[in-house]
Order: sequence, then structure tokens, then C-alpha cells
Amino acid sequence: MSLWVDKYRPTSLSKLDYHKEQANQLKNLVQCGDFPHLLVYGPSGAGKKTRIMCLLRELYGVGVEKLRIEHQSIVAPSKKKIEINTIASNYHLEVNPSDAGNSDRVVIQELIKTMAQSQQIQSSTQREFKVVLLTEVDRLTKDAQHALRRTMEKYMATCRLILCCNSTSKVISPVRSRCLAVRVPLPSTEEVCSVLSSVCKKEGLLLPSELAKQIAEKSGRNLRKALLMCEACRVQQYPFSVDQDIPETDWEVYLRETAHAIINQQSPQRLLEVRARLYELLTHCIPAEIIMKGLVTELLSNCDGHLKPEVAQTAAYYEHRLQLGSKAIYHLEAFVAKFMAIYKKFMEDGLDNFMF
Amino acid sequence: MMSKLSLGGKASSGKISSWVQPSFTDFFGGSSLNSFSSTKLLPRESQSKVQSSSSSDIGGKKQRKRKGEAQTSKLDRDVFSSRPGSQENQDEPWVDVHAPQTQAELAVHKKKVEEVESWLKVHLDLKSTNKGGAVLLLTGPSGCGKTATVRILTKDVCCHIQEWSNPTTAEYKTDDSFRDNFDPSSRFNSFHSSSQTAAFQEFLLRANKYNRLQMSGDDRAQERKIILVELFPDFVSLKDFPNQFYRQPGCLHDILSLSGDTSSRLLFPKNVQEELSIHHISFNPVAPTSMLKVLSRIATIEANKSAGRISVPDKAGLEQLCSGSSGDIRSAINSLQFSSFTDFSLEKSLWSCKKGKSSKPAAKSSTRAKGRGRASKSTDVLEDSPSIGGKDASLFLFRALGKILYCKRESYEAGDVPKLPAHLSEHQRDKLLVDPELVIERSHMSGEFFNLYLHQNYVDFFSDMEDLARASEYLSDADFLTAEWTSRSTMLEYGSSVTTRGLIHSNTARAQAAQQSSVGFKPLHKPHWLHISKTYRENYLTAQSLFISFCLTPVSLVTELVPYMAKLSNPMRNQALGDKDPGLLDHDSDPDETGKQSTEAGTRTTVPGDTTSTLPALPNSQEPGGDLPASQPQPTTAGALLDDEDLLIEEYDSD
Repeated sequence: MSLWVDKYRPTSLSKLDYHKEQANQLKNLVQCGDFPHLLVYGPSGAGKKTRIMCLLRELYGVGVEKLRIEHQSIVAPSKKKIEINTIASNYHLEVNPSDAGNSDRVVIQELIKTMAQSQQIQSSTQREFKVVLLTEVDRLTKDAQHALRRTMEKYMATCRLILCCNSTSKVISPVRSRCLAVRVPLPSTEEVCSVLSSVCKKEGLLLPSELAKQIAEKSGRNLRKALLMCEACRVQQYPFSVDQDIPETDWEVYLRETAHAIINQQSPQRLLEVRARLYELLTHCIPAEIIMKGLVTELLSNCDGHLKPEVAQTAAYYEHRLQLGSKAIYHLEAFVAKFMAIYKKFMEDGLDNFMF
Repeated sequence: MMSKLSLGGKASSGKISSWVQPSFTDFFGGSSLNSFSSTKLLPRESQSKVQSSSSSDIGGKKQRKRKGEAQTSKLDRDVFSSRPGSQENQDEPWVDVHAPQTQAELAVHKKKVEEVESWLKVHLDLKSTNKGGAVLLLTGPSGCGKTATVRILTKDVCCHIQEWSNPTTAEYKTDDSFRDNFDPSSRFNSFHSSSQTAAFQEFLLRANKYNRLQMSGDDRAQERKIILVELFPDFVSLKDFPNQFYRQPGCLHDILSLSGDTSSRLLFPKNVQEELSIHHISFNPVAPTSMLKVLSRIATIEANKSAGRISVPDKAGLEQLCSGSSGDIRSAINSLQFSSFTDFSLEKSLWSCKKGKSSKPAAKSSTRAKGRGRASKSTDVLEDSPSIGGKDASLFLFRALGKILYCKRESYEAGDVPKLPAHLSEHQRDKLLVDPELVIERSHMSGEFFNLYLHQNYVDFFSDMEDLARASEYLSDADFLTAEWTSRSTMLEYGSSVTTRGLIHSNTARAQAAQQSSVGFKPLHKPHWLHISKTYRENYLTAQSLFISFCLTPVSLVTELVPYMAKLSNPMRNQALGDKDPGLLDHDSDPDETGKQSTEAGTRTTVPGDTTSTLPALPNSQEPGGDLPASQPQPTTAGALLDDEDLLIEEYDSD
């Protein structure tokens, strides 16, 4: 028994639930024999990874599903030892090079080199190349991306790369042009609903279509999230009722409360409380960008239309700072303080106008 | 051997102004064997001479070495000839002349002296079965009386002292960080240090041998011996020092007293200390009161002796010397001597060059200094630090923070108010009394760390939201400035400058001197960020390692999978449905990790795998911070404030 997300993950291209045309195209691609480097991109929860695994299975057969987790340590030229986890089968290797931080260039080069240098055991029956799957390519340093560009050409004979990322905007264009870009869009609400109900059917549960629709909307069409929500609903209450609460993650609730705390009172004292809450979120590994985004969304929906442009601008400013700076709390707090100042001023002005 | 030592002492003291350490004499470091010396306790009269072979005047010894034997012996004779005429040489350092003779004269806290004494008594006890060399480690800042204490106490119990002092340069011992980071002589160092190691080894060998010989012939053969190792031999040799020397029990029959500065933790890691049962006594800087006592004693003696030739500073002056020397009695006495010998008019000008506040008694500041930080009411050590012999008065961290956060201002005199144009009038501020850059420099912290401290504490000092927004913006700016690692080392200073000045400027409530009255006491806290980011990293790694089989990107892992896992498993566990894969969410799979975290973070056990226990508590924690060490003001005792591993502030002992 495992999570529904894993349990009912489609394993072959023909079994995919949506974007079937694209699945067919991928199938054709595999059958042509040769295979370019791929750049698979799309929002989180759209099914990129599922699609890639299906593709690999199409290429190599069931053997690709025998995964093993390996702990590799690579010594950089600077004698620095880098530890990284990889997931591999006999035919492919998956690695998230952004785990290695600044040394990702070395990691990529070393891993691809070792992978490419070993030939397939039976090249007559098998494909003559192996696949290296790099996730979160958009978080690679520029250095590593440039290194990738050379590596891609050098080992073309024995190795194919599948790059996986959320957005291509941070992937340098030479790398983009060397790959066949495959975009995996989010499923539509209806598609999410149908997946949810089919999963529930397989579980022997009855999912009201209204609830399915609610879940789909609440999850933002993120299928992984939708399935997790659905399973949480099941845990919370069964049989399902149409109007039952859909459980949210704790950090989302916490973040919303934080936003309300900001709206309710603007004082130095409150800022300290907010800071403590931000710290709490950070220790639970919620990335600062997501905190920022969540705060802004919640704050914007709670403030007057006149304020929105200014708030959004402030948010963009500090979001940028967040990306460039090193200590997130400075920028998060500066944003909160700025918002408090703007909001307070607006409220006081409004009060004055009201009085006179 | 004996004559050599006394010779060394004389030579150094006989030379004019040799108490000012010559900077470049040590490049000619001669045979390092010369630098150890053995003494029998000398009669009281010349005891002060022996003292002079302490670390303070290595330079003097070096000079002797350079001059060569013939010359030194001549010098020796000179000094001896001048000796009997009881009139002290005017140029003799007072540090030597007035070295403490009895326990009562020691400026060290009584309890410390007792501690050392009892240790000596225990380990000098001849009946004790422990024949191995016992080791006592004395640490403390320079000039706090470590060596003097040992000398006096050993005199009381009648035993030899054999001294080793390092033949390296004086700056070597004082500047650890310098040595760590950048060692200009590193190319030569291996050679140098190896010879030093050899010399030290030989010294120990001889010390032991000598003892045995002495014992056979001497009627006072019962006498035990103390080897006093001043300043440890060079770092490099120290790595193997314990192995080489301590582990040979036969080698050390005697008591080894080591006095060094605060790097002891580096030199003697805990395990070595325990293994060899090294007893560690750490000395504090000399308390201002006892220092004042010593200074005034010396001042009176000298004034009487000189019959008017010497003008000893008055009480206020002495107090100022005390506060300026930050607990270093040696430098205080040196300064005293210096200031007493200068021409009166010159001295006057030196003493009065404090800015504006010359009338304020400095004692105020020195006593307040103990209140670290909260006592920034009227203390301005920056301005008050004496111009003679004053060390760079290092500010206590919390005082430095207080200086920035309370940002004292002074209103301009009527005429010279700088006028800002009308549209900038909101930026009009009164004259600032602190120099932010100087404060940072004196706080002896990196700008980054100082910023963190400021960030933790600045909110309390603001009342207006607009000001607060501006202040936080400056903090954000500072972080932004130092973001690029290639330029970070340069930008750090600018970053902290931006922060401090930004914070000071944006606090409009404290813009005018007249309004600056009642902020009241605000407790200061240490920054939480370091702890937070550490916990973040740990949790992140644990989450990754626990859920690696899900093949998820870290972001979706921590924002989607882990929180929902918590949702899924919690009720199931309670209802004992048990339809979960135990391997998947094995909460006890990592007991070590959990245990470690829970001890580190107090009540919190936030291995993300364990989110079931902590995350559900999140929404309930309406109380800000929940189990976070709350950053809002709360009465914190000074002890808790100081409980910081990064920063050991020791309290002055005051009698």
C-alpha cells in the first residue's frame, strides 16, 4: 500500500489519462529508433515525471522500473567532496544536480561522463544509449548549464539527456536549442475530475462529482496535490459528502493566518510576531519564495483596490531581493513592514476623509 | 643557567625604554635555547628581576641575543653595578620594579589565587602517589596576572620554577587570527617550528635531567619543581605536542604550569585535557577596583621616591587608565609610567584631548561597563578612552548594539545648524554622537553578524510604522549589497555601514536630541536567524533522505507531500486503521536524528518525517512563535543573554 499518487501512477504511454496526443507523439518518437535530447517542462503537478518514466519504459521495457538509490560522492578539482543522491536503473540515471549547490557543474560532468563511458551490455537487443535524467534544470547555475552544452554533444553517441524543469526561462538558449522541448501543460479541471473519480473507483470509493470539482479547483489543477487532497478527504470522512471541507496543508493555513495578522494590526509589536511566524514557516522548509507568494496573494485579496498596484510593486521588488540576497528573513520582513506602512497610512487617510 | 636568566632580566630592564617592545628585533631569532631559563627562587630584592623574563619582554631578550655574549655580560655588570645604589633607575619599567611580592599585592581575584594555590598544594604533596607530571593550564587575556600568580605561589611553597618562553615574535602570540589566516612566514615556518619543537623538547629533557642532578647534590632535595611554560611553542608543533610530550609519563616528573591566552580550547581539546587530567583555571581581566588599588599604590611609592620629579596623575587620571587598559594590568602600569614621565604641559594636552566631556569621571563608565549594553546612558568610552597607552577599547557587544539602537544625539548650538531645503526637512537630524563605523570596528564582529544582531533587536526601538518600513528596507539593502560572494569581503563593511546608518537615520522618534528621553530599557537578544537556518537545513536534508524514493523535487516535497502525509497518517494512526505502508512513513526510522534535533531545538522535534507530531500544532500556535524562542521582548536575564556560544563575555570580577 502506498499513496494513491504512486499507486495509480500510469506506467506506460498508452495508459496516460490526458494529453493523449502528446503521448502518441512520444511513442512515435521512441519507435523511430533514434532519440534526441529532451527538455520536458511544465508546471508542477502536471505529470512531467510520470510522462518521462513512461517514455523510459517504452524505451527499455520493465527493467527501467527496478530503481535503486545510490549515494555518490564526487571529488571536485578543488578537492571538495560533494555528496549526492542518485536514482538509477540499469538504463538510466536520475539526479537533481541543484542539490549540489554551487558545485553542480562538477556533478553533472562527472555523472554524465561515468554514465556515458559504460556501454550497454547488450547493444544488439537494447538501445545503444543510456539516459540521464536531470531534474530542476532551471535551478542549475549558469556555469553548469554551459558545461552541459558541451557535455551534451560530446557524449551524444552513448548518452541521451532528459532535462526536466518548470520553466524554460532560466535555461540558457544554447541548451534549449539542443533539445526537443516538450511542454506538459496542467490538466484541465475536467481531466483532474476524471482522474480523481477513476482513482476512487479503483479504490472502491464513491466520489461525488461536486466534491471532485471542488478538489480540482482547490488544488489549482495540480494533479499530485489533488490526489493527495482527495486521499486526505478520504481519511477525514467517508462516505464523502458534497460539502465537506477539503483539508489544506498546515503551512497554507498558517500562512493565511499570518496574512490576517498583518491586516488586522500594523505595529512594531505585530511585526515581531509576524517575524516569529515567518521563522516558524522557514524552519518547516517552506521556501521563502512560496511564503512571499502566499502572503502577497492573501494580502492583495484583503486590501483596497487603490493599494493593489503599490503592494504588488513592493512585492515584486522584495521578491527580486529575495532571489539575489542571502538571508531571506531580511527581505520578507522588509516586505511585511512596507505593507504595514502602506496599509496603515491608507487606513488612517481613509479615516480622516470619513471624519471630515 | 641561573646567571643567564638574571642577566636576561637585567639586560632588558637596563635598557632605556626597553619595555616598549621593539617591533623588528625578532627577525634575528637566535638560538632558541637561550630563551629558556631556570631560576631558583631569589631573595626578595631581586625577585622583581626574575619577573622580567616573562612574556612581556621577549623583545628585550632578543636584543640581548643579538648583541652577543660579550656585550651582554658587560651590560650585565653595568646593571649590577647600578643595582646596589638603591635609587631605582628612572628608566626601569615599573612593571618589573613593582611586581607583586606577596599574595596580598596580587591584583588577581582572591578566589582564583586560592584555586591555584590549592591545586599546587595537592600536586606538590610529596606523599601523593601520583608521580606523573601534573599539568595546570592557566588561561586568560594578557596582563591579567597569570605568571605573577604562579611565581608568588611557588615562592610561598618553596620550589623551583623553570621557565620556557617562546622564542617567537611577540606579534605571534598576540594575533591568533592573523596567524591562522595569513602567515607571511609560512614558507619558513616548517623549518622554524621544527627547530622550536626540538628546542622545547630539549628544554623539557634538560629540565628533568637538571632536576635529578640537583637533587643528588642538594640538601634540599625534597624540593619539587615547576616548569612554567609561557606561551606555547608554535602552533604547528602543538598538533603533535600532546603526543610527543604528555604521553611520556617518564618525561615529566614535575608540574607543568602553562599560561597562555584564550586559544586554549584550540590547543588543548577536551579529550586531551581529560586524558591527561589537565586542570584548567581561567583568569579574568583584572577588575577595575583592584587595578586601581595597585596603580595608586605604585603611584604613591613613585611619587615619594622621586620627590617631585615625577608627576603622578591624580585619581581621575588613574581611573581613566584603568578603564582604558581593559583589564590588562601590565599595560596599565606601563601607561602609568609613561604618563608620569612626560612633560607636564604635554601631559596636560594629552589628557584633555577628550571631546567635550573631559570633566566626566571615567569611573562612571568603567563601572557601568559591567552592565553591558543596558548601561549606555552616559558612557562614552569611545570619546573617553585615554590617549595614553589606552588599548583599543573593545566594546561589549550589547553596548555596541545599544549605541546604534539608542543613537544618542546632541542638539546643535544655535549658530551652526545645517539647513536642509524645505522639501528635505523631514530628514533633518540632530548631531549624532556615535560613529557607527567605529562602533562596528570596536565590537570586533563581522559586519554580517552585527547586522543580524541589529535585525533581531531594532524593532523594539521603533514606534512609527513608516520608520520601521524604512529601517527594514535598509537591512534588506545591506543584505543585497553583500549577496555577491566575489565582492563580499569588500562589501561587508559597506553593508554594515548602510545598516547602522540606515537604522539610525530612519528612527525619526530619536531624530532630535530633545525628544530622545524615554525609550527605557529594552532587553537585547541574540539573533535567531542562525539557528533558524541551521534547523532549516537539517530538516531539509532529513526530508530529502527520508523521502528520496518519491523522486520529487524538493519544493513539491516539502510543500505538498510531507504536509499531506502528516494529514493522512495522523488520524489513521489514531484509529489504528493500519493501511499505511510502514516502510513509507516509518517515524522511528531515524531515532538518532530525532533525538539530536530534540535536544538541539529544545521542545521541538521537527524532523519533517515527524511532521505528524509537530505540524498539526502549527495552526494552533496563535501565540506567535509557538515554541520558537520568541523574539518579542521578554524579561531576559543577563545570564541568558550571555549564554551564547559564539560569544563568550566574561564578567569582570569586582571585589
